[in-house]
Amino acid sequence: GPNPGGGGAKPGGKPGGKPGGKGDAQSEKKHKETIIDLSKHMDKPIRVKFAGGRECSGILKGYDPLLNLVLDATTEYLRDPEDSSKLTGETRQIGLTLCRGPAVMLICPADTLEPIANPFVPQD
Amino acid sequence: AMASSGPQNPSQIMPLELVDKCIGSKIHIKMKGDKELVGTLLGFDPYVNMVLEDVVVYEISSQGKKVTRLEQILLNGNNIALMIPGGEGPDN
Repeated sequence: GPNPGGGGAKPGGKPGGKPGGKGDAQSEKKHKETIIDLSKHMDKPIRVKFAGGRECSGILKGYDPLLNLVLDATTEYLRDPEDSSKLTGETRQIGLTLCRGPAVMLICPADTLEPIANPFVPQD
Repeated sequence: AMASSGPQNPSQIMPLELVDKCIGSKIHIKMKGDKELVGTLLGFDPYVNMVLEDVVVYEISSQGKKVTRLEQILLNGNNIALMIPGGEGPDN
Protein backbone atom coordinates (compact mmCIF):
# COMPACT_ATOMS: atom_id res chain seq x y z
CA GLY A 1 0.00 0.00 0.00
CA PRO A 2 1.05 3.68 0.02
CA ASN A 3 3.88 4.52 2.34
CA PRO A 4 3.64 8.02 3.71
CA GLY A 5 6.78 9.88 4.68
CA GLY A 6 6.07 9.36 8.34
CA GLY A 7 6.07 5.66 8.92
CA GLY A 8 3.94 2.58 8.34
CA ALA A 9 0.62 2.53 6.57
CA LYS A 10 -1.26 2.44 9.87
CA PRO A 11 -0.36 3.03 13.48
CA GLY A 12 0.92 -0.14 15.11
CA GLY A 13 1.57 -1.72 11.70
CA LYS A 14 4.98 -2.59 10.29
CA PRO A 15 7.17 0.44 9.70
CA GLY A 16 7.37 0.13 5.90
CA GLY A 17 9.88 -2.72 6.29
CA LYS A 18 10.60 -5.60 3.93
CA PRO A 19 7.81 -6.07 1.44
CA GLY A 20 6.40 -9.60 1.30
CA GLY A 21 7.93 -10.38 4.71
CA LYS A 22 6.58 -12.84 7.22
CA GLY A 23 2.84 -13.29 7.39
CA ASP A 24 0.86 -11.68 10.18
CA ALA A 25 0.80 -14.80 12.34
CA GLN A 26 4.59 -14.88 12.48
CA SER A 27 5.15 -11.14 12.57
CA GLU A 28 4.48 -10.90 16.31
CA LYS A 29 8.09 -11.78 17.18
CA LYS A 30 9.72 -9.22 14.88
CA HIS A 31 6.81 -6.86 15.41
CA LYS A 32 7.98 -3.29 15.58
CA GLU A 33 11.23 -3.51 17.46
CA THR A 34 12.56 -0.03 17.87
CA ILE A 35 16.26 0.20 18.57
CA ILE A 36 15.53 2.15 21.74
CA ASP A 37 13.53 0.65 24.59
CA LEU A 38 11.43 3.52 25.84
CA SER A 39 10.01 1.55 28.75
CA LYS A 40 13.35 2.20 30.46
CA HIS A 41 12.70 5.95 30.21
CA MET A 42 9.08 5.96 31.41
CA ASP A 43 8.41 8.64 34.03
CA LYS A 44 11.94 9.98 33.56
CA PRO A 45 13.00 13.27 31.96
CA ILE A 46 14.15 12.98 28.37
CA ARG A 47 15.44 15.41 25.78
CA VAL A 48 13.92 15.34 22.31
CA LYS A 49 15.25 16.98 19.16
CA PHE A 50 13.06 17.34 16.11
CA ALA A 51 13.71 17.53 12.40
CA GLY A 52 13.67 21.26 11.65
CA GLY A 53 15.58 22.22 14.80
CA ARG A 54 13.02 22.32 17.61
CA GLU A 55 14.14 20.91 20.97
CA CYS A 56 12.26 20.12 24.12
CA SER A 57 12.47 18.02 27.23
CA GLY A 58 9.90 16.49 29.53
CA ILE A 59 8.85 13.49 31.56
CA LEU A 60 8.03 10.54 29.33
CA LYS A 61 4.46 9.50 30.04
CA GLY A 62 3.70 7.38 27.01
CA TYR A 63 4.83 6.25 23.60
CA ASP A 64 3.84 4.02 20.74
CA PRO A 65 5.79 1.90 18.25
CA LEU A 66 5.87 4.78 15.74
CA LEU A 67 7.77 6.85 18.33
CA ASN A 68 4.95 9.27 19.03
CA LEU A 69 5.70 10.46 22.58
CA VAL A 70 3.65 11.93 25.39
CA LEU A 71 5.71 14.29 27.55
CA ASP A 72 4.59 15.94 30.77
CA ALA A 73 5.99 19.17 32.22
CA THR A 74 7.43 19.89 28.79
CA THR A 75 10.08 22.58 28.44
CA GLU A 76 10.60 24.07 25.00
CA TYR A 77 14.09 25.42 24.23
CA LEU A 78 13.72 28.60 22.21
CA ARG A 79 15.97 29.37 19.27
CA ASP A 80 17.53 32.58 18.01
CA PRO A 81 15.17 34.04 15.35
CA GLU A 82 18.19 35.16 13.32
CA ASP A 83 20.02 31.81 13.53
CA SER A 84 17.74 28.87 14.12
CA SER A 85 20.60 26.53 14.95
CA LYS A 86 21.38 28.53 18.11
CA LEU A 87 19.50 28.15 21.36
CA THR A 88 18.91 31.41 23.20
CA GLY A 89 18.93 29.74 26.61
CA GLU A 90 15.34 30.83 27.06
CA THR A 91 12.75 28.20 27.75
CA ARG A 92 8.98 27.98 27.85
CA GLN A 93 6.91 25.59 29.94
CA ILE A 94 4.23 24.10 27.75
CA GLY A 95 2.75 21.36 29.93
CA LEU A 96 1.49 18.06 28.52
CA THR A 97 2.50 17.58 24.89
CA LEU A 98 2.57 15.04 22.14
CA CYS A 99 5.73 14.68 20.04
CA ARG A 100 5.11 13.33 16.57
CA GLY A 101 7.17 10.21 15.86
CA PRO A 102 7.95 11.11 12.24
CA ALA A 103 9.51 14.40 13.39
CA VAL A 104 11.53 12.99 16.32
CA MET A 105 15.22 12.92 15.46
CA LEU A 106 16.89 12.31 18.80
CA ILE A 107 15.88 11.03 22.22
CA CYS A 108 18.24 10.92 25.18
CA PRO A 109 18.02 11.13 28.97
CA ALA A 110 17.70 14.79 29.91
CA ASP A 111 20.75 14.72 32.13
CA THR A 112 23.21 13.27 29.62
CA LEU A 113 23.43 16.28 27.31
CA GLU A 114 26.01 18.95 28.08
CA PRO A 115 27.73 21.72 26.10
CA ILE A 116 31.44 21.24 25.42
CA ALA A 117 34.15 23.43 23.91
CA ASN A 118 34.11 23.37 20.12
CA PRO A 119 36.39 20.46 19.16
CA PHE A 120 36.68 21.65 15.57
CA VAL A 121 38.31 24.98 16.29
CA PRO A 122 42.10 24.62 15.92
CA GLN A 123 43.76 25.02 19.30
CA ASP A 124 46.79 27.30 19.14
CA ALA B 1 -10.13 -0.17 16.82
CA MET B 2 -6.57 0.24 18.07
CA ALA B 3 -3.97 -1.90 16.30
CA SER B 4 -1.88 -4.14 18.52
CA SER B 5 1.41 -2.56 19.34
CA GLY B 6 3.31 -5.07 21.44
CA PRO B 7 3.75 -5.01 25.22
CA GLN B 8 1.92 -2.07 26.77
CA ASN B 9 2.28 -0.54 30.16
CA PRO B 10 -1.34 0.05 31.27
CA SER B 11 -0.42 3.14 33.26
CA GLN B 12 1.07 5.02 30.32
CA ILE B 13 -0.73 7.55 28.15
CA MET B 14 -1.02 6.37 24.54
CA PRO B 15 -0.19 9.29 22.24
CA LEU B 16 -3.07 8.90 19.84
CA GLU B 17 -5.51 8.54 22.72
CA LEU B 18 -4.32 11.91 23.97
CA VAL B 19 -5.11 13.42 20.58
CA ASP B 20 -8.51 11.72 20.55
CA LYS B 21 -9.37 13.20 23.95
CA CYS B 22 -8.62 16.61 22.54
CA ILE B 23 -11.35 16.44 19.87
CA GLY B 24 -13.68 19.38 20.43
CA SER B 25 -11.05 21.37 22.33
CA LYS B 26 -8.38 23.85 21.42
CA ILE B 27 -5.02 22.48 20.37
CA HIS B 28 -1.74 24.29 19.68
CA ILE B 29 0.35 22.68 16.97
CA LYS B 30 4.01 23.46 16.27
CA MET B 31 5.27 22.51 12.83
CA LYS B 32 8.83 21.40 12.09
CA GLY B 33 9.57 24.89 10.76
CA ASP B 34 8.63 28.16 12.41
CA LYS B 35 4.90 27.92 11.91
CA GLU B 36 2.40 27.34 14.69
CA LEU B 37 -1.36 26.96 14.68
CA VAL B 38 -4.08 27.13 17.30
CA GLY B 39 -7.54 25.82 16.53
CA THR B 40 -10.36 23.57 17.62
CA LEU B 41 -9.69 19.95 16.76
CA LEU B 42 -12.54 18.38 14.83
CA GLY B 43 -10.80 15.13 13.98
CA PHE B 44 -7.71 13.34 12.75
CA ASP B 45 -6.74 10.26 10.79
CA PRO B 46 -4.13 7.52 11.37
CA TYR B 47 -1.45 9.68 9.74
CA VAL B 48 -2.39 12.50 12.14
CA ASN B 49 -3.61 14.72 9.35
CA MET B 50 -5.96 17.04 11.27
CA VAL B 51 -9.20 18.89 10.64
CA LEU B 52 -9.25 22.14 12.59
CA GLU B 53 -11.63 25.05 12.80
CA ASP B 54 -11.35 28.70 13.88
CA VAL B 55 -7.65 28.46 13.24
CA VAL B 56 -5.06 31.14 13.97
CA VAL B 57 -1.78 30.59 12.10
CA TYR B 58 1.39 32.17 13.46
CA GLU B 59 4.40 32.48 11.19
CA ILE B 60 7.38 33.28 13.41
CA SER B 61 10.38 35.07 11.98
CA SER B 62 13.05 37.52 13.07
CA GLN B 63 10.65 40.23 11.91
CA GLY B 64 7.97 39.13 14.34
CA LYS B 65 4.82 37.05 14.09
CA LYS B 66 2.55 37.12 11.07
CA VAL B 67 -0.95 36.06 12.02
CA THR B 68 -3.69 34.74 9.73
CA ARG B 69 -7.09 33.32 10.48
CA LEU B 70 -8.85 30.42 8.75
CA GLU B 71 -12.31 29.02 9.35
CA GLN B 72 -11.76 25.35 8.70
CA ILE B 73 -8.71 23.50 7.43
CA LEU B 74 -7.26 20.12 6.74
CA LEU B 75 -3.72 20.23 8.09
CA ASN B 76 -1.25 17.85 6.43
CA GLY B 77 0.34 15.82 9.23
CA ASN B 78 3.70 15.48 7.47
CA ASN B 79 5.22 18.56 9.06
CA ILE B 80 3.76 18.43 12.56
CA ALA B 81 6.42 18.24 15.28
CA LEU B 82 4.67 18.98 18.55
CA MET B 83 1.07 19.20 19.75
CA ILE B 84 -0.19 20.86 22.94
CA PRO B 85 -3.78 19.89 23.84
CA GLY B 86 -5.57 22.87 25.31
CA GLY B 87 -2.77 25.16 24.23
CA GLU B 88 -3.61 28.80 23.54
CA GLY B 89 -0.73 29.83 21.33
CA PRO B 90 2.76 31.32 21.35
CA ASP B 91 1.70 34.42 23.22
CA ASN B 92 0.84 32.59 26.44
